[in-house]
Amino acid sequence: MITKRLLFVLGAGVLALVTACGGGSKAAQPPASHSPAATHSSPAKHKSSGIPQDNGGDHDGDNSGGPSDGDGNI
Amino acid sequence: MRLRRIRPGGAPGGSGGALPRASAAAVLTAALSLALFGCASGRSSSAPGDGAAPAATSAGFGWFRPGPAPGAWQHASLSGQSATLSYPGSLRSEHSDPGTVTVGSTARSGEVLVYLNVTPKQGDETLRNWPDFRMEHLREDGQSAVRLDGVSGPLNFRGGHGRCVIDNYTTDIHHNHYNEIACIVRGAHATSVLVAATSTSAWRASRALLEKVVSSYQAS
Repeated sequence: MITKRLLFVLGAGVLALVTACGGGSKAAQPPASHSPAATHSSPAKHKSSGIPQDNGGDHDGDNSGGPSDGDGNI
Repeated sequence: MRLRRIRPGGAPGGSGGALPRASAAAVLTAALSLALFGCASGRSSSAPGDGAAPAATSAGFGWFRPGPAPGAWQHASLSGQSATLSYPGSLRSEHSDPGTVTVGSTARSGEVLVYLNVTPKQGDETLRNWPDFRMEHLREDGQSAVRLDGVSGPLNFRGGHGRCVIDNYTTDIHHNHYNEIACIVRGAHATSVLVAATSTSAWRASRALLEKVVSSYQAS
């Protein structure tokens, strides 16, 4: 009788521990809603009147097959 | 011969309840141990996931270590800014837009080995929109097959904060194929764009140099 009661109490303890453990693991997972793509709004580009481009005035390499430079204009 | 009957779980001559109780306790102890082990291992396996998110945003930028350039390198600054580009003495100044700095190296075949350009911020580029902005700019510039290979998180440059992308593209004119590390860097007084590029065929050989140039860039 005592053995049965002991078994019942300890069994319930194990069940509670496993349940709590599973809940804890779930809470430790990173939120699934983080999407870097969602944080970037597509920028509406406004061209500034900065450095002259398109070989209209600069004749630099990026307008003749060279690497693109760092200007924010075309 | 008379055999003694042994009850399952019992011991010959035992007191009946002692061993069942002992074995039940052993079983439950084992179960508790297993439960605790599972709990602990579950937590430890989730820990790298927690730390992986920030690392993933900077995947491919483990090489970035801000620091001074080698002593023998040359330096060039944007006019009116103290932002400084450091580069090996083997590179030569190249014609570029007014107010910008460009140095590079080109093989006799015309292949671009190294191309470094620093330009003051011209448009609406920001640290936040930089990946989208750069990709869109390359396409608007007439480049095709624009491919984004890596996006950094916030990077601590010398004298400022920045963000970089690694990408490759093909030019509309002559169909040249380039790889680049393109960064926007915001200093205390000004924001500038640094482009470190090379022909795709030279990317493998030049990449370490480009990374060193980016790591040594000084914002103003």
